[in-house]
Amino acid sequence: MFSISVFLESFGPLFWAARYTLLISVLGIGLGLVIGTLVCAARLSPYAWLRRSAMLWVSFLRGVPLLVQLLVFYYTLPVIGLDVPAMVAAVVTVGICASAYISEIWRGAIAALPRGQAEAAIAIGMTPRDIWTRVILPQAFNLSLPALINELILLVKASSLVSVVGILEITRASQAQAATTFRPLEVYIAAACIYLAINLCLAVLGRYLEHRTAI
Amino acid sequence: MVAASSVEIRKVNKHFGTFHALKDIDLTIPPGKVTCLIGPSGSGKSTLLRCINFLEQYDSGEIRIDGTMIGYDAPGRKMPGRKLREMRRSIGMVFQQFNLWPHMTARENVAEGLMRVRGMSRSEASQRAAEALTKVGLADRMANHPSRLSGGQQQRVAIARAIAMEPRLMLFDEPTSALDPELVGEVLNVMKTLASEGMTMVVVTHEMGFAAHVADQVVFMEKGELVGVDSPDRILHHPQDARIQSFLRTYHERNSF
Amino acid sequence: MDWSILQQYGPGLLSGFGNTILCWFLGTIFSMALGLVIALVQRYGSRWVGRIIQVYIEIIRGTPFLVQLFVLYYGGPLVGLRLDALPAGLLGLTIYGSPYFAEIFRSGFRAVSVGQIEAARAIGMSEPSIVRRILLPLGLVSSLPALVNFSIILTKETVILSIITVPELMYQVQRMSTETFRYLEANLVLALFFWALVETISNVGRWLEARVTKHLIERT
Repeated sequence: MFSISVFLESFGPLFWAARYTLLISVLGIGLGLVIGTLVCAARLSPYAWLRRSAMLWVSFLRGVPLLVQLLVFYYTLPVIGLDVPAMVAAVVTVGICASAYISEIWRGAIAALPRGQAEAAIAIGMTPRDIWTRVILPQAFNLSLPALINELILLVKASSLVSVVGILEITRASQAQAATTFRPLEVYIAAACIYLAINLCLAVLGRYLEHRTAI
Repeated sequence: MVAASSVEIRKVNKHFGTFHALKDIDLTIPPGKVTCLIGPSGSGKSTLLRCINFLEQYDSGEIRIDGTMIGYDAPGRKMPGRKLREMRRSIGMVFQQFNLWPHMTARENVAEGLMRVRGMSRSEASQRAAEALTKVGLADRMANHPSRLSGGQQQRVAIARAIAMEPRLMLFDEPTSALDPELVGEVLNVMKTLASEGMTMVVVTHEMGFAAHVADQVVFMEKGELVGVDSPDRILHHPQDARIQSFLRTYHERNSF
Repeated sequence: MDWSILQQYGPGLLSGFGNTILCWFLGTIFSMALGLVIALVQRYGSRWVGRIIQVYIEIIRGTPFLVQLFVLYYGGPLVGLRLDALPAGLLGLTIYGSPYFAEIFRSGFRAVSVGQIEAARAIGMSEPSIVRRILLPLGLVSSLPALVNFSIILTKETVILSIITVPELMYQVQRMSTETFRYLEANLVLALFFWALVETISNVGRWLEARVTKHLIERT
């Protein structure tokens, strides 16, 4: 019933497509880091309107399913006159979605630092800028590394959804493969294996970083 | 007078990995008497106490309660869970951290064991719980959750939880160590009352005053070994062994100012 | 907006809404139940069984929900598992959610102090009694925020079921938008709907949390 040869043959085209899965995930987390840092800064800012906007941003992106976000962005871009390739739209959507989670990761890491550390820095007369760049941010980054890797794993899985806007990543490629071979079971299990391999590698990396930073 | 158990500890050994926590411990705990275990931290006194109700499994030797070995049917053969639970019913234990169940009121904490273990009805268990709580002076606190009680009150609830089961032996694992100094007295007073009723008590403690005034025998342990067993007077006021002398010297230095 | 559209598609949207709530509710209940069983087996089962479960957890957590659905719905018939879209979707949600719930319960159980379990053992309570009376209530309370959080994630995952043609809200909205060409409006409204739903659930969760932890917070 389960054909090993069909299963093995599926890997060829799927590996090819895996490059797009990785590309979308990595660019997505890169964009998410940039926007997420800004959002986190906004949430910690002294201006109430900025904090509220950031909260709204986070709450909206965390409240709306990625698939819906994807379609909203996909259909909004042409309306506002931006005719970008589907790939760009996908990366932007994934990045924007990730920004909400990444800003929360930052915030959590900063909150997890003992208050006394900032106080100790103030006590020896450090400037607020030095306190942030020398004391708080370096530690927060180390603390949040495992969570960021975890976010990357989530993005790898979430990137399967961009198949609905026609990007030939692993899931889309496996759909095409299943349609031509009429062997969906083998093909989709092969796709699952590739995702699993990618994510296990990332998980191992995450665990390594966790041990390294646990001083 | 309550029915009181005796405990026989023979050649008990316990390892944590490669660490030899108890070394050939021999000790007799007479019925109706108070035995205090003292010694520096890490000496194995809490481990020994926890072996008596088999919360900690000893590797070799025998611990017999009223002649019945606890934990094992025969050397190396664990007793069935049902039989172990049966034995534990008559051994009360009070912990350093109280270990009350935070989702239940004081009264429910005491009644829980009566219902689940003794099979009492809810009303009967509740009645008995009220009596036990009254005995430890908490009649007016029965409806409170542990989070609304002081440390001393929590520990007294824990004692009520244990005595409500009508144990014949009570184990106390540093019952006052987690308490603020001003709350220690109320717990020690309850324990003194219990001792005067003829309960067999084994108490791991750092309260030398309690050991001196209430204990019938004092056991000094160090590095997993039993160094001395004698009357409070002989151990605490006229110690022969250099290790006991040095421990007491440190103790007095720390507690005088 | 043209209100005649609503008239025409109203019934479809309503049934879609019903199916979304159904999928979220049953999906959460089933996967939570399976997760609880997994967590208990991991705690009390043999090491051998624990390892097998760990492999299951890694596989489910390492692969996208969409691919799991494809394997189940399109691959299933090849091994004799023929399910309609809705039951397949529910089964998919149950399988997908279970390891996450299991992890939540597992860490909830770990948060119950050893001392509170020992106190129960010391008065001779049996293990099943300890699980029912001490471990579960305390573990559930400490995992409540995470449970609510993950049930919110599951709410959002239900839209993925539309891809395997489960007639839930997303599916109905897409059908409507392809027939009326109002893609953006339809999806925007859908987004707002989910936003409101998720905010509601998390507010209910916070309220619930405040209620059940009332007695667990030490007075200072």
